[in-house]
Amino acid sequence: MTKTAKPLSHPFLLLLVLLAHTAMMVLVVLSFGLNEEVIKMACVILTFDFIGSIILQFVQREACTVDTVLLLVIGMSTIYQSCFGGLEFAVKHFAFGIAAFIMCQLSYVVTRNPYRAERLKPLWYGIFFILIFVIRFLTGSRGMWIDLGFITIQPSEFVKPIFVLICASSIHTQLNKHEIAGIHFVPDNLMVIFCTAVIAALQWWCRDLGSLPTFVAVAGFGFLLRFCYLREKMSVRLIVFLGLCAVAAGVFAWKLAPAYVQERLHSNIWADMSGTGYQQVKALTAIAEGGWFGKGAGNGTLIHVAASRTDIVFSTICEEWGLFTGMMTVILILFLPAAVLTVPPRSYYHSGLAVGVAAVFMVQMTLNIFGSCNLIPFTGVTIPFISQGGSSMLASGILAGFLKAAQAPVLTDRRSGKEGK
Amino acid sequence: MDLTPLFAKYPFLREAATAFVVIFVDIVALVILLAAARERHRGDRGWAKEGHGFMLACEGEVYPLGAAEILIGRHPSADIRFSDSEVSRFHALLSLSGGKWQIEDIGAQNGVAVNGHRISKPCTLRHHDAIMIGKHRMVVIRGTERA
Amino acid sequence: MAAQNSKEKLPRPNAPELDVSAPCSMRRAGKWTALLLVAFIAALIYLAYTLITESPYYMAKSGAATYGIVYDRTGDVLFDGSQPLTNYPAGQFADVGNLIGDTSGQMSNTIVARNLTDLANYTFTYGNSAGTASLETTLSHSANRAVYNAFGEKNGAAVAYNWKTGEMLVCVSKPCVDIAQGYANLETMLPGSLLCKAFFPTVPGSTQKVSTLLAAYQYAGVDRVNALEFSCSGKWINAEGAAINCHQASGHGTQLLPEAFANSCNPYFAQLVQSGIVPLSSIIESYTRMGYSVNGNKAEPLTMDGITIQPASTALSDANNFETQWGALGQGKTLVSPFQLMLWQGAIANGTGSAVMPYLLKSKTSPLKEVTPIGKAVMTEQFFTAEAAKAVQDVMTQNSTNHYYVSFDVYHCGVKSGTAQVNDNGREYENSLLAGFCLDDQAPVAFCILIEERQSWDISTAQIARTLLDNVSGLS
Repeated sequence: MTKTAKPLSHPFLLLLVLLAHTAMMVLVVLSFGLNEEVIKMACVILTFDFIGSIILQFVQREACTVDTVLLLVIGMSTIYQSCFGGLEFAVKHFAFGIAAFIMCQLSYVVTRNPYRAERLKPLWYGIFFILIFVIRFLTGSRGMWIDLGFITIQPSEFVKPIFVLICASSIHTQLNKHEIAGIHFVPDNLMVIFCTAVIAALQWWCRDLGSLPTFVAVAGFGFLLRFCYLREKMSVRLIVFLGLCAVAAGVFAWKLAPAYVQERLHSNIWADMSGTGYQQVKALTAIAEGGWFGKGAGNGTLIHVAASRTDIVFSTICEEWGLFTGMMTVILILFLPAAVLTVPPRSYYHSGLAVGVAAVFMVQMTLNIFGSCNLIPFTGVTIPFISQGGSSMLASGILAGFLKAAQAPVLTDRRSGKEGK
Repeated sequence: MDLTPLFAKYPFLREAATAFVVIFVDIVALVILLAAARERHRGDRGWAKEGHGFMLACEGEVYPLGAAEILIGRHPSADIRFSDSEVSRFHALLSLSGGKWQIEDIGAQNGVAVNGHRISKPCTLRHHDAIMIGKHRMVVIRGTERA
Repeated sequence: MAAQNSKEKLPRPNAPELDVSAPCSMRRAGKWTALLLVAFIAALIYLAYTLITESPYYMAKSGAATYGIVYDRTGDVLFDGSQPLTNYPAGQFADVGNLIGDTSGQMSNTIVARNLTDLANYTFTYGNSAGTASLETTLSHSANRAVYNAFGEKNGAAVAYNWKTGEMLVCVSKPCVDIAQGYANLETMLPGSLLCKAFFPTVPGSTQKVSTLLAAYQYAGVDRVNALEFSCSGKWINAEGAAINCHQASGHGTQLLPEAFANSCNPYFAQLVQSGIVPLSSIIESYTRMGYSVNGNKAEPLTMDGITIQPASTALSDANNFETQWGALGQGKTLVSPFQLMLWQGAIANGTGSAVMPYLLKSKTSPLKEVTPIGKAVMTEQFFTAEAAKAVQDVMTQNSTNHYYVSFDVYHCGVKSGTAQVNDNGREYENSLLAGFCLDDQAPVAFCILIEERQSWDISTAQIARTLLDNVSGLS
């Protein structure tokens, strides 16, 4: 029993966020001078911090880690995105940041009751298959984008949170066993396998296997948690077996990968610096030029390279703000999934959600950062909250909501007034 | 107040300023981490409210009900575990739902009894209810929160 | 409240303290997340390490770096990336352009091009303004320039290294680009200006007889070979009916091996090959061990500080065949680089059959002035037996004493000359070569000189070798 462990007050944390953003703004002012654009940006971001914190103060006081980190990261990423190669307030990015923050609260409300969230699984399946249908038949030329004129949506990003909802499962679901011809099976597990296969097939069709590791990781961790429930505790033998299976699957996939993937796997960026390796060469050089503390906000040149705000955004940040800042930003995002280490989930379904979200965030960041730095094949995935892109931002917001739900679950159905005492 | 020429002249000034800001933001991150570590308190209090402070007392031991689903059985993954053969591997499931704790027989060979009656469907638990799991008698108790 | 155990023994079960700690099944989520986190952060640390250590490479490769200075052994500048090369006296770089190179990207097989990362004035912490990096070479710029000038109007190559320590002392390839002049006149530049001929195979002429003799000594024994007698009448008809001509039309008469070696008598060596005293398979085996690519078999290229040296090659099919005999005499399809000829001389000079591998880079200095030694004496693999090496050394020193006394009077040398008949796309001419070594403590060098299209009135290879020895003497 630790009596001293009083939580730090919520307003104090939000004040710190405000201060952190102010400090970064000062740096922007030092680079650009105190002009209109800086003032506009500072006002908007700091106001959002202020209003956001007041709303949270009255609405939701639990799980403040997720909210605080979210506020901090959204403001930081807006400042980054506004300064790349010159100052221009990234209004759109910030608007999506606010939207992501709201999505986080919404998804929290929907999933904070694990029973209800799981009861809604048919709905998740429905949305999942609608999204798959949309991607397969409505997106233009395998690009996975829908152009609505004023905005483009990437439905595949929204598949991620839905898939996390599908892959989590409670103990009740796992006890629901069926038997056909002497084989016991859990229908939910079969559905997860089926959904994974559908996604794999779709990605294959789209010729974009970049997001596949994310989905495989979510499904994989979902199953790990399932096997932990009702089979043995993870025995060494089972872990070794699963590890070997994963390695075998990896080797198999490596050998059977289509030509355009093989090309990615074996390309040497330094041998083709103006061709396939162009982005990565530029990205690595930018990091090298940036050094520890960067060239200063707005002084970067990587902005002229394609995907500088999305796929190689880590390098763009490192160039202007330094490797130290880049690393810090990445670690800050890790705080979100790491929150389950301090406040453990209270239900199996929420456990599944928490691990699923951790898998999505970390696999995405791994693919993006290590890919752009030439340690693994380069794929076009985004860093949650940092990369530009509305769909990715909103989807990440939804995922953050799951984490919040796992930290502050509400099991009492408050609407029906059954609040027990 | 355009400081660009100054920075061009003394590049280390800008680096120092960046370093200062970055370290400040790092400190903020550390404080958030500290706050997160202390959130456990808040989480526990929230859970105590959700679960009405119920615990299970059995043969001199007290089992906290720290999750919405508590598995009772002989299986290694059970949270309340008995190793004698009268307890099935997956014996009973305690769950918190709709503001109530319930117990459910999940295929126990010897059944689950609440206050002496063998149950066939989920049964809501109250303070001081007695549960029989095999030969083990468990009592639902409410813990007292220390101020 | 934060009790770590899910079970807690309490004396009074009726009034227990509230415990709502999550059971271990709930902590699994935390465990898996922690596993992911630890793996990710470990990878992140590895990434940071990789980025920091490889960043000079990124900068050099993408051309975003500035570059430092390459020095010779006395601190004379061979390349300077920190200021315009025209700031230096005219001709400062005229003799080393195609060896040291520059950062223009025009030449790829040069010291600068192959060691660009080490020459970058870049560190992760200080960026491009860290200081000046430098590479210290073992080259003697004064000796190099003297040898370069000794060529006069002629073109060719000259290489020399200290066979005791491995230090490269002289490496000249003429014509040579003057990097201070830039590449505006690329079109009118003499062919071969942009590559160092010392590293490219050329027809070795009679210097090849050293290789053939080594094969013979190793297979048949030194005494037996030295006692072999063949006669030369100026022209010899082989088993196929083809004529092998001697450069002395009147012939050398009946000779023993040392005489024939000194006379560079083609009929003698052709008869040696055809006689079967040394089977062709043994010659092939011996050549292969020395690093030749025989009959298209792959041979590993040599490298020196990143510079690639193409391996020697030849074609040997049948001991009675003219082409084969011609190849064993160093003509026809046989090609050896001056560098490799020099390397074998090193293995002969030290009498072990294994040479000290030459190196050009002595040390590198980072922009922060940390000095890292690079060059050290490393033995090559065994090219031939020590016994054969010593025997060839005797024959070569004998040759030098008897025939080159005028050139090398004060030096204790061993040499073998050669005249290579080159057919350059139909244009036929003769190159003059000299491979040898000096055994004096003052100048323990192995060398190879190549003069292209030499006429009898031109400067001789021995004269250039003498210039070389005079200039490198006492350097070690």
